[in-house]
Parts: sequence; structure tokens; C-alpha cells
Amino acid sequence: MKGYDAVVSNRWVRLGAFLVVLVVLAVLPLVADPFTNQTISHIAVFAVAILGLNIVMGFTGQVSLGHSFFVGIGAYAAIIPIRDWWGGPLAEGAIVIGFVLSGLIPGVLGLLIALVTVRLRGLALAMVTIALPTIGLPLAQKFSDFTGGNEGISIRRLDYVGADGQVHKGNPFAAGPGLENDQWQYYIVIAIALAFFALAYFLVRGKYGRAFAIVRSNEAIASSMGVSPYRYKVLAFTIAAVYGGIAGFLLIVWGQFTSSETLAFHHSIDLVIASIVGGAGSIVGAVLGGVFYVTVSQIMNGLQLSIYTTLVQGVVIILILFLLPGGLASLPRTIRRLVRRGAAGHSVEAGHAADSASGNTKTQVQPSEERNT
Amino acid sequence: MNPFGTFIQLLVDGLAQGSIYGALALAIVLVNQATGLVNFAQGGMAVLGSYIGLTIGNLLIPGVGSTLGVVLGIVAAVIASLALGGVVERFVMRRFERAEEDTKVVATIGLLTLITGLVGLIWGFNPTPYPFFFGGSESLRIGDVSISVWSIVTFTTIVALMVVLQILFRGTKFGLGMRAVADNAPSAALAGIRVGGLRMAGWGLAAALGTVAAILLASKSQLTPNNFDGILVYALAAVVIGGLDSPIGAVVAALGITILESLAAAYIPWIGHDLKVVVPFVLVFVVLIIRPQGLFGRRAVVRV
Repeated sequence: MKGYDAVVSNRWVRLGAFLVVLVVLAVLPLVADPFTNQTISHIAVFAVAILGLNIVMGFTGQVSLGHSFFVGIGAYAAIIPIRDWWGGPLAEGAIVIGFVLSGLIPGVLGLLIALVTVRLRGLALAMVTIALPTIGLPLAQKFSDFTGGNEGISIRRLDYVGADGQVHKGNPFAAGPGLENDQWQYYIVIAIALAFFALAYFLVRGKYGRAFAIVRSNEAIASSMGVSPYRYKVLAFTIAAVYGGIAGFLLIVWGQFTSSETLAFHHSIDLVIASIVGGAGSIVGAVLGGVFYVTVSQIMNGLQLSIYTTLVQGVVIILILFLLPGGLASLPRTIRRLVRRGAAGHSVEAGHAADSASGNTKTQVQPSEERNT
Repeated sequence: MNPFGTFIQLLVDGLAQGSIYGALALAIVLVNQATGLVNFAQGGMAVLGSYIGLTIGNLLIPGVGSTLGVVLGIVAAVIASLALGGVVERFVMRRFERAEEDTKVVATIGLLTLITGLVGLIWGFNPTPYPFFFGGSESLRIGDVSISVWSIVTFTTIVALMVVLQILFRGTKFGLGMRAVADNAPSAALAGIRVGGLRMAGWGLAAALGTVAAILLASKSQLTPNNFDGILVYALAAVVIGGLDSPIGAVVAALGITILESLAAAYIPWIGHDLKVVVPFVLVFVVLIIRPQGLFGRRAVVRV
């Protein structure tokens, strides 16, 4: 077991594994079928959304129950400029504007919401953010000229003026020569997702990550060390909102469509469940959460059992909270601990049992080296 | 109808709708007092209770007639909710007693999903009409004003329940024990109070209260597994405005935001029916800025 630990925690082994993953991600779409490519890009879209949720929940210890609001707003902020300006004088610039706005608008809204709600200790954030989808949905429907209301906005066939001066229909995210649409969209989604995962990785490893952790474990100690809990909680929530918004942009790249349904309340609940199942206190957990989010409903629909989907999600989240509070990302560590406990006999058992019985998602956040893998 | 008549009607309908939000808000405060957490599954549990009432009522109506069947269905639903609340506290939430606040929130979210899934599986996700109506469309006319029977029944039922709860909490030994647990559970345990049992009772009472509200709502509209998601959001807004530790504050806030919402929808054309939902949450933000502990709440003092 010791040899295994040494290998797994070796820097170069980790770096090598990461490079292998990168190469697989780069080569895969060229050999896989469109369905696989779309599924993986779909997972990447929601992994980014869940990563934002993890920063606010797992790393800072607050619960946001309105994350789908930011995904939905981000999707609108991305698709509306593309709908209105793509094919005009701005050309592909419209996509860049959509990308910037999809991070900026949810970020500003998240900042304003956090500035007010983080003032109350404890549960206020959960109690207020749960209202965001409830407010957002009627607003999106009210301004249907702008948002397309219930029908939503599709940019799969947009008008543009071609080189011949004629008006054509085109998809802003159609592939150039040599690639299929699903491959092209896959590369865009994966590239942006990787960039935001890298940003989050360096964020939580550095000064900010340590500040989040200390705010999470004890606000009084944080204050006494000169780390303002208020400031860092606001910051974490704002970052989460930006990640939600960027996931909205990626959703547009993936499907070229959004509607008010994107920000509906039940998606927020699904995202929270996926985050906890994957492991809210870890970056890998966000990827596992994305896999859970996308594949559970896909599998259930495939088996014609979609009526059981909600029940399955409920059972899984309760089981995870009872048995594996660190989520799937903590599974290897938990297994290692169980094995070690078996080897060491009963002396350490009591301590670990108390540790795991507290049903605490935080137990996994302690070893900072392992958390950031 | 004259403007004054419209105003009175808005007020009464607002009071009725608001009393449903208020009942759920009170249930949330009850649970918070008993176990120190916010139960995001409170609405889901209420919906489950009302489906149980629906099924038992439907089973009994052919045998005992519709009036008695309805009453027995409601009684059965209330008893089932009392039991359900206690069981959920004992076997699910007790495990998270010492967990972090955020873990508890997630646990109740899991509970909500579990219950919604279960209800959907048993009764289907499509809207089910309730077999009995407390005069959903009938109304009383007093001069120019017509007031729906449903509004009167709903408001008086919930006010009566609140009075009963108040007597229970202020006038009985049981209530004294509950308040002791809410105030300081370890000291209450040392004084010989059975903390665990009282926590189960708190959850049970809250679930039963929610179920009555859900049945009242269902007698006007149809029943769906997500029926109370929206109502939960209002109830939570009322709790934030009134204060988590103030039962009266939560109820007053629930009535206040509902009435303000319907008045704003009726008299401010710019808001209208589409945007009225925004009104309560603007109030939430205003309250959070001026008085973060809620209008009736006590400021929490933390010893370090």
C-alpha cells in the first residue's frame, strides 16, 4: 500500500497522468461517434457549472440553491448578441462579445446578490438564492421579445450575408472544412472548460484557497487572522456566478439553443446534488458531478425509466451523505483508509469512526494536498 | 364593483393565500427552533401528506359518503404527517445533528428530491384534481364585495391552528420543554427533558401543519409533486423577513408580502401580474440591508 501511495502522490506521475488525459481528450473526438462527442461536451458544460458551485459550497461552506439562474442568464447573455449581431459587421466578434457578457453579467449580478445576502450568517444565502430561479423565470417570460419566452432562442439557422451578397442561413458554431460540427463544438467546449478548470486549480491552491478554507472552518479565527469572512464569501459567490455564466455560454456552443427552462428551479437542485455526489470539496469532484448530472438522466431515459430519475437522485444523495460525505472524489481515499484501518487493527478505528460518523462534507477538505488533485 | 370593494377583495384573498405561506413559514420556524436547521423539504413533506389525504379520502368516500370521507382523509393525512415528521427527524436528520450547517441544508435538499421522486412515482407527475373543494368557486356577497368561501375557510383554519399551537407552546408542559430545547438543548437534557423525543415532536407538528396548508391549497388548485416548490420560496422569504427565531414574525411577514404583492399587481400597472413575484424579494433585499436578523428577529450574539 505504501508503494502505491508513493506512486500516486508523486508529482511527475500526476503530471504524466494529466498529460495522458489531455492527449486522450484531444484525440478522442477524431475517432469517437458524434453521440459520444456530444455527451462528453455536455459533461464538460455542467462540470464547469458544478465547479463554480464547488467553489462556493465545498471550499467556502455556503449553499447556493439558485445556480441554474446564473447558467440561464449566462446562456441568454451569450446567445442574444450572437443572434442579433453575428453575420453583421461584427461577424465572429459577436461570439466573443457573447462569451465576455456570459461571464460578466452573471458575475455582476452574483456580486450584488452576495453583497446583500452574505451579511446574514449561516443559511441566508441558501434561503435567498432559492428565490432566484423563481424570480428569473417570470422575468424571462415577461421580456419575451428579448429572450424568446418559453419557445426560447435557437441560433442553428441564422441569417447572414455571404460573399455573393445573398442572405444565407448558417450556424455560428458550424465547423470549418475537415471537422464535423460535433467535433468542432467539442474542441471549443473542452478548451474553455479546461482553461476554467486550470484557473480554479490555481485559485484554490493559492492564497484564496487557504482563505476560503479558513473562512469555512471558523469565521472568528479567520477574522482574527485578518481574513475577512464577508469579503471572501462574497468573492466565492461571485466566482461561482461567473462559472455558472460561462457554463451557460458553453451550453450555447453545445446546443445553440436556450429557453427560460434553463434557469428553472429543479436544475439548481440537480446541480447541488451532482456537486455533492461528485465531491463538493474537490476539483475532480466537479468532473464526476458533471458525469453524474448528464449520464443519470441519459441512462434513465435510455432504459425508459425516466419516472424513477428523481427518486434515484434522491436515494443517491442521501446514501452519499450517509456513507461517503466527501463524494465520489473521496472514494480512493476512503478505500485506502479502510484498508489501512484493517491493517492497523482496532487502535485507530475509534478515531476514524468518529470522523466519518459526523456526516460532515468537510472531513475531506483537511488534507490540502489531496483535495486539489 | 366599486374601488373599495376591489380593495377589500384583494385584501381577503391575499390573507388567505398568505396564510398558506404563513403556515409553511411557521412550520419552518418550528423545525428551526426544535433542531436548528432550515428544512428545505418542508414543502415536499406537505405535498406527500396531502397526497396521502387524497388517497385515503378517495378510498373512504364510496363507503362513508363524501363529507365524512373528506374529513377522515384529512385526519389520516395529519396523523401520517406527524409520524412522517418524527421518523424523518429520528432516522435521517438525527444523523446530521453535529454536521456543518451546509451539510444539513444539503441533507434536506436530498430529502426534498427523495420525497418528490417518491410522490411522482406513486401518484404520477401529472396534476391530480382533488376530489373535494371547499367551495372553490362559490363566494359570499356582502354588499358590493364578493369573497370566496375558500379564502374564508383557509384563513380561519390556519389562524385557528396557529392559536392552538400558541396555546400548546405557552400553556403546556410539553410546550415549555420544546422551548427549553430550542433555547439550549444540552441544558434541557441535563434538566431531564427528553430532547430527542421533543425534536421528533417538533418535526411531526411542523409536518402536520404543512400538510393542512397543502390540503387547503390543493382544494383550490390541482395537486402536483412540485406543488409546494414555489410556496416554499415564499415561505422562506417570509422567514427571512420575519426572522428565523420569531414564529409571529414569520406569519405576519407572510401575510404582509402576499398582500403587498397582490396590491402591487393590481395598482401598479408597470408590475402587473407578470412581475408581481418580484415584489416580495425586493422586500427581502431591503430587509436584509436594513435589518439582517429580520424585522422581528433577535440579533445572534456569538461567543468566541
